[in-house]
Amino acid sequence: MATTPPRAEAVLLLRLAGPLQAWGDRSTFNRRETRPTPTKSGVIGLLAAAAGRARQDPVDDLSHLGLGIRVDQPGSLLRDYHTVSDYRGTPLPQAGVSAKGIQKPTSPAKHTHVTTRYYLQDAVFLAAVAGPGELLDGLQHAVRNPAFPLALGRRSCPPTQPLCLGIRDTDTETALRETPWQVSRQARERYAARWRREHGAARSAVPATVPCPVTLDDPEGPDVLNDVPLSFDPLRRSFADRRVRHDWFSVPTGFPGRPGSGTPDSPEDATGHDPFALLGW
Amino acid sequence: MTYLSRIRINPLRAMGRTLLASPRAMHGAVAGGIPGGPDSERVLWRLDADNPHRPHLFVLTRSKPDWTHIVESAGWPDADGEHAAVRDYTSLLERIALGREFAFRLTANPVQNTLKPLRATPEQQRRLDAAAASEQTTRPRGFRIGHRTANAQLRWFLERTERWGFTVPPARHVPPGSEEDIATSPETDVPRDLRITERRRHSFTKKEERSARGGPRVTLTTATFEGRLRVTNPALFTDRLLNGIGPAKAYGCGLLTLAPLPEGSR
Repeated sequence: MATTPPRAEAVLLLRLAGPLQAWGDRSTFNRRETRPTPTKSGVIGLLAAAAGRARQDPVDDLSHLGLGIRVDQPGSLLRDYHTVSDYRGTPLPQAGVSAKGIQKPTSPAKHTHVTTRYYLQDAVFLAAVAGPGELLDGLQHAVRNPAFPLALGRRSCPPTQPLCLGIRDTDTETALRETPWQVSRQARERYAARWRREHGAARSAVPATVPCPVTLDDPEGPDVLNDVPLSFDPLRRSFADRRVRHDWFSVPTGFPGRPGSGTPDSPEDATGHDPFALLGW
Repeated sequence: MTYLSRIRINPLRAMGRTLLASPRAMHGAVAGGIPGGPDSERVLWRLDADNPHRPHLFVLTRSKPDWTHIVESAGWPDADGEHAAVRDYTSLLERIALGREFAFRLTANPVQNTLKPLRATPEQQRRLDAAAASEQTTRPRGFRIGHRTANAQLRWFLERTERWGFTVPPARHVPPGSEEDIATSPETDVPRDLRITERRRHSFTKKEERSARGGPRVTLTTATFEGRLRVTNPALFTDRLLNGIGPAKAYGCGLLTLAPLPEGSR
């Protein structure tokens, strides 16, 4: 299990879902990649932005928080052909500087950079941030009243609501096991239909659980990720390693009306407003 | 008797465009559908452009209306389908009871009243000067100033819901324990099941287009609120349903409509 602080442990649950997400950890130059799951630096950056911290501010207290990620819906990869140029029509600057320390224009003149940006489309993740209760209370308030606009890894990727699912007084693993599946009703129905086909079940039967891959902080874990932020300062960006463990959890599907699934449905279920529906046709 | 009507507006016809563009023209068309005199009753209406190619006009009237003139000039008179649906509203009013929950939609004109505008327009300054010159002992009438930010509009709405006979319960993703917090202290910032789906600033002249230059202008800030409500005072709530909420009722504000709660939310 993750490193347990001596104080009362709690877990803040975040539902990371949106049309686009991008969780880069080794992106440099013109190729901006995304990992298939949210990075710790991305989640901590989101929390720091919500709390109104500037780039230069320390994030030591946040980088000690434990993190568990559950993949509710993996989404698909989007490759974005992206160009960069100067709106004044001047050539782009080169990396080298003149004797005065000013960036020189490229020669021969280069007017356009081509960059490739990768995004995750239509993915849903559940992030469990573990740490001392008082700190998480403050972070929950910050996420619900963010100081800066929140983004899923890149500024062009705003999150959908609900983002904050609240604080649970358990450990990361239990929270990720017991929180219901966070996908839309359509995705849940599609999964149920496939499950019925494969199991030859009756039309009204619904599956109780769905397997979801999880990634948990674990000091003895087999995998190493270099995404613990030491500083977000643009001039001194640095990251540390963390060890993680990959696993699969059986997660309640959260079909409405099932015992033990007393859950709010996902927000995509909201439909249009029809005042005539109550008037008895 | 009370009736709720739904009329389809054709945005490709000249009259349809006029109606969609000007709340003044729409007010005239709506008033023309009432058999009584123009001031015989309070008519509430709202334009819903969920699908901008097929906008719908909702009207709440006390007497049974006739919408032939709108269908003929701004609809699809020869087409299939229901051009104007009129339903009896009493079946809904009978279902209003303490603690019942509905999905709602309201287009309102959130305003505040003040006697001292920060930067008075020439018209406001003229009125202030006139009031100062006449040296009346009575308090002069204040100015209605529209709330223009989403935050201010949301606060305007949430501060008044109790007076209108309902509350907006917390959002569905908030754990159920926090509902008592709202009841004890309304100031706590628990997210509510409420959102603003549209905000607009309307500005139009009161006269016909031809003589419009320099005529008096009407400027309105409107916000469309959508969400879930719980009835706390059925009598007050029924009164607000029938008589509207907030100012600018002639110009498409104040009609609160109810719908069944979306599936999966209890």
